[in-house]
Amino acid sequence: MKQYKTHSNRIFSLVVNLVMLFSLFACLTPFLYMLSLSFSSPRAIINNEVFLFPKEFNIESYRQIFTYPNFFHAYGNTLFYTIVGTAISLCLMVLFAYPLSKNKLKGQKMIMKLVIFSMFFTGGLIPNYLLVSSLHLVNTRWAMLIPFAINQFNLILLINFFKTIPLDLEEAAIIDGLDYFGILRKVILPLSGAALATVGLYTAVFFWNDWFNGLIYLKSSQFPVMLFLRNIVTGTSMVGDAAGAGDKSTIAISIKSAVIITSTLPIIVLYPFLQRYFVKGILIGAVKG
Amino acid sequence: MKHGKPDGVALSNRTYFARYYQLYLMMVLPLLYFLVFKYVPMFGNILAFRRYRPGMGPWGTEWVGLQYFKRFWSDPAFWRAFRNTLVLSLLNLIVNFPIPILFAILVNEVRNLAFKKVVQTISYMPRFISTVVVIAILGELLSPSSGIFNILRQKIFGSEAIYFMNDSKYFRMIYVLVDTWQYTGWTAIIYLAAISGISADLYEAATIDGANKTQQIFYITIPSIMPTIMVMLILNVGRLLSLGFEKVLLMYTPDNSMVSDIIDTLVYRTGLANQNYSYATAIGLFSGIIGIILVAGRNTMSKRLTGDGIY
Repeated sequence: MKQYKTHSNRIFSLVVNLVMLFSLFACLTPFLYMLSLSFSSPRAIINNEVFLFPKEFNIESYRQIFTYPNFFHAYGNTLFYTIVGTAISLCLMVLFAYPLSKNKLKGQKMIMKLVIFSMFFTGGLIPNYLLVSSLHLVNTRWAMLIPFAINQFNLILLINFFKTIPLDLEEAAIIDGLDYFGILRKVILPLSGAALATVGLYTAVFFWNDWFNGLIYLKSSQFPVMLFLRNIVTGTSMVGDAAGAGDKSTIAISIKSAVIITSTLPIIVLYPFLQRYFVKGILIGAVKG
Repeated sequence: MKHGKPDGVALSNRTYFARYYQLYLMMVLPLLYFLVFKYVPMFGNILAFRRYRPGMGPWGTEWVGLQYFKRFWSDPAFWRAFRNTLVLSLLNLIVNFPIPILFAILVNEVRNLAFKKVVQTISYMPRFISTVVVIAILGELLSPSSGIFNILRQKIFGSEAIYFMNDSKYFRMIYVLVDTWQYTGWTAIIYLAAISGISADLYEAATIDGANKTQQIFYITIPSIMPTIMVMLILNVGRLLSLGFEKVLLMYTPDNSMVSDIIDTLVYRTGLANQNYSYATAIGLFSGIIGIILVAGRNTMSKRLTGDGIY
């Protein structure tokens, strides 16, 4: 269909493209600015000469954070929480979602009601804290992993996906002598790659970005990298040791930026390749309403 | 009788269980987990009616009735937090509800498909960046001594540097704009999906009738996605009071606490920082109950409007 090139339509498409360019600029600039700060010299930063491109390019701040043992440690902790947390979470959610995807299973409706109710009314901060502490999980890494293993939104997403798998496949598998555990492993899971990737990514992002639970449950050697970053920002954790004798506040800016970049890098780098899975999730969720 | 399909009607309990016990077996661990981590804390809320003594268990020691509720009811700090929560939520709704709709409509009008794809992909990304990183970047951008924003203001207008992150005047605006930055692209996905469902015939007919682009938006696009807009509005009203607690906590400074202390941060401070567990639980329970009333209200509203509850 040919667009009519009227005057008003031309202005319209100009406005549209300007708005889009502005959105791109707004989304990207903060990262570019951090990137250029992290590669700039403290002298250029203190003289306010750094904008969207690094000034007096150097990698000193990265060299420094990599000599800083707490940073490495926190980064390793985050990797651990993300990998183990996502694995536990996926196992529990798959085992829960598959039976719950069967509408006619006795008790299914009641359990679904429990799941949905818990999305709207939660225990709240203090009862959750007291539960975790009375289970003796405080100051253990489990406190980061266990309380968040099942997310109701992701669970419902999986249930909805499992419901779309044709029952014929399952019936054929039963005739072939498979039990339900076998069906789940050999029929359902191989067909659920996209849904598992979607839910797995949401979960991984959750664990990667989590810091508050680290703050209330963990001791400092167990801190994830986001909590480490937050402590640098609020000044409760020292980067000064690594910064040496120079102007601490300015050196800290390039170091802070380097920590921001390194701790966000996995998401930024992997994001373009994985974004279709992220989007899939919101659309499956939206169908549900 | 079909295999593999829980049917139940013609089966006795024993054969039913013999056939499907594995499905129940599968659920045992997750269900147990679910009850412990989602429902035990829910009942843990009775702490709001009981006195907590350290080391004497999480359920408190004796009943004190509504004592803690009466206490926060007459506590100005609570009402300040309540007002701040309400104002910030409403402001956020007013600004950040229409923006994604507008953004989706405009994205949909981009003719160059490659450009459209790039804009979409990049606009979703902020949603996946940690709040800590977002606030840390914001701190750098707005820093009074070295932030690019203040430098530009000085260079162009010659104005004094402002410590935005610490100034209660700017807290609400910054909070809302950060939400715009983080969630506009992501929320727009839903509207874009709705727009892509509109029949191309409508636009063709309108073009033949001489409608320009702006008229097409007002007479075709917006009316067609109205049901989606209504559902999203109802959803948003239902979670009106659930602000981004972590974000507020990260932006909280003693200097902006006049406006940045919301119910959740108050609960966090009185509960975890000062260990007034029962008092904090009472405040948390109160806001939880308001939350569930809002959800119930939203469901009734949705049933009335669309003939269908959201849950």
